Amino acid sequence: METLEGNTMPIEILLVEDSPGDVRLTREAFKDARVLVNLQVAVDGEEAMAFLKREGKYSSKPRPDIILLDLNLPKKDGRAVLAEIKEDPKLQTIPVVILTTSASEADVLKSYSLHANCYITKPVDLDGFLKVVKSIDGFWLSVVRLPTGIPS
Amino acid sequence: MKIKLQLIRKMQFGFGSAMAILLVVGVVSYRSVLASRDSDRWVGHTHDMLENLGGLLAGVQDVQASYRSFALMGDERFLEPYRLGVLHVGQEQMTIRSLTSDNPNQRRRLATLEGLTQQEIQFGDGVILDRQTKSEAAALQQIRLADGTGIMEKIRVVVRDMKDEEHTLLLQRDAEAERRSRQTKAVLILGSTLGLLIAALAGWVVKRDYVARVCAEQLSKEAGAKYRGLLEAAPDAIVVVDKGGEIVLLNVQAEKQFGYRRDELLRQKVKNIIPEGFAERLIADGTRSAAEALAQQIGTGIELSGRRKDGSEFPIEIMLSPLENAAGILVTAAIRDITTRKAADKHLLQKIAELKRSNEELAQFAYVASHDLQEPLRMVASYTQLLAKRYKGRLDADADEFIAFAVDGSNRMQGLIQDLLTYSRAGNNERSIGQISSENALREALVNLRARTDESGALVTHDVLPKINMDHSQLVQLFQNLIGNAIKYRSAKVPTAHVSAKKGIGGEWIFSVRDNGMGIDPKHFERIFVIFQRLHGREEFAGTGIGLAICKKIVQRDGGRIWVESEPDKGSTFYFAMPEGKAPDGNIGREHHAN
Repeated sequence: METLEGNTMPIEILLVEDSPGDVRLTREAFKDARVLVNLQVAVDGEEAMAFLKREGKYSSKPRPDIILLDLNLPKKDGRAVLAEIKEDPKLQTIPVVILTTSASEADVLKSYSLHANCYITKPVDLDGFLKVVKSIDGFWLSVVRLPTGIPS
Repeated sequence: MKIKLQLIRKMQFGFGSAMAILLVVGVVSYRSVLASRDSDRWVGHTHDMLENLGGLLAGVQDVQASYRSFALMGDERFLEPYRLGVLHVGQEQMTIRSLTSDNPNQRRRLATLEGLTQQEIQFGDGVILDRQTKSEAAALQQIRLADGTGIMEKIRVVVRDMKDEEHTLLLQRDAEAERRSRQTKAVLILGSTLGLLIAALAGWVVKRDYVARVCAEQLSKEAGAKYRGLLEAAPDAIVVVDKGGEIVLLNVQAEKQFGYRRDELLRQKVKNIIPEGFAERLIADGTRSAAEALAQQIGTGIELSGRRKDGSEFPIEIMLSPLENAAGILVTAAIRDITTRKAADKHLLQKIAELKRSNEELAQFAYVASHDLQEPLRMVASYTQLLAKRYKGRLDADADEFIAFAVDGSNRMQGLIQDLLTYSRAGNNERSIGQISSENALREALVNLRARTDESGALVTHDVLPKINMDHSQLVQLFQNLIGNAIKYRSAKVPTAHVSAKKGIGGEWIFSVRDNGMGIDPKHFERIFVIFQRLHGREEFAGTGIGLAICKKIVQRDGGRIWVESEPDKGSTFYFAMPEGKAPDGNIGREHHAN
């Protein structure tokens, strides 16, 4: 639980990422950016969907405000996860930020056609990565106005 | 053929004219002989005339002497010679008449003479009658009367005239004969000489031509043998076919290739050994003129299938050429067994495919390796950087130094892997080839380089640049790398770069980027285009040594060339030549040349 002054409610973030190094790095980046986030992690696509649908042990988990989704995931691919989210009326309003190492045009195109909200290639150096995470916070969590609650 | 005709014509002409001349000589000689015989006859004739005239005169004298003696003596015995004399005179006159049939002068004189002799005989008859019936005196009276007329004298004169005439004629004829004889001699000598000369000349010419002909025949025979030898020595099977598709001539290679004996193939249909494509062609050729067919078929090899006697088929290449001869149009076919070549072609294609695959795999490997290495490297780099960020000055000095080396190493490795990725992507991306403005590409490159040009105060100029067939973003990259180098490797002066383009041989466009930088030693001209090869230490100039390798890959991918002209301290000029037409796509050998 990281807390930012003046912000009483922590932002719920679901990070779908199989690499523990990246998970930790993302966590450190939010810490570095001094953003109060409640960062939940799913290490593969199936877990991500279970989390979002609050199945089994995830029944008490909160609905995330934003999803950071890697594309290359074990069990269920990130693209399939994206498609399922955007087809589910209960989930489709959650902004999905694709955060991946792939810079391939095909991946970019595919993601946007599946209604990804934005596509970010992970910068290879630490400073770049910190900047990106900070800008995700700045844009998606501060600038953008998102729908409140679940659509009826 | 021609030589023979000429020879015959020459023989006809030469010997013909000699014969004609000799014929003329013969005719002249014959006529001369006739004339000479004529001349002899005339001599005889004159002699006869003189003799007869003499005889006539003697006869007249006998007549006169006989009747006078009878008148004096009255003896009857004198009447006998008188009668004989009259008879004699008549005979001589008849002979002379026949001899003078062609001479009117003599005929006239003969008539006069006959008149005179007639008178004399009448006198004689009168005298004899007077002596017998009257008296001696009456007879003598008659004689005196007769003497008074002078008949005898007149007869003598006429006879002399006639003799003179004959003499004159004889002399004339002798002269004529002499002249003719001289002429004949001349004609004979001249004619014979000329005839002989012409005959000799003709003989010489004929002999010369004959020798030439024999020589030519010999040569032709030798040439024939030579051609035959050539035919047999030809490396290809050669088959000559007539318009009906029958084989009329072949060489030993044809026997070997198709496995037949010569006599088995002669007069056989060519379809038996080349089942398809050849006979059809003959029919097609039949509708064209030989010259047309010849013009079309020289050097064109058709690939067909040949069939051996045992029924097995093998690939052949066949070259046809029409051959016009006396018997009509024949078609010569040079047939080459291309089994080996076909196999080699197939092998080559296999090798090319293998090479292509291996190159693609290599390119894929370079891409995947650099891509997949990036992930763990990102972890190493990120965490060493995080370490440096969080713990710098909080551990001991050694730790700070070690961490600094780890950060530097991982940074450099990231640079290399990034460049490797850029390089393996260069030319492998989807490209859109079309007419693009190289001036626009240069402008875009300069926009990308703005930070560096501003910082260095570099001055980049250019001439009018053409539109070329190339991928726009690749040309931008090319200009960017070359001008970037011009700024990066500058001398003490303010850096300048000038871009121009000119048409080269074969329609290619040759671009040049000329700078006033530090220049390059010619011994490094090759090396600078090789990936990760650098001329400077990391402390002098940053970078991995990828820029020119990428340039080379881009240029070669589109079938172009890139090279440099430079001298140390005098600046460098980089050239790249791009072919005009549509760039050949997927030329593996070039594409991955620098890998």
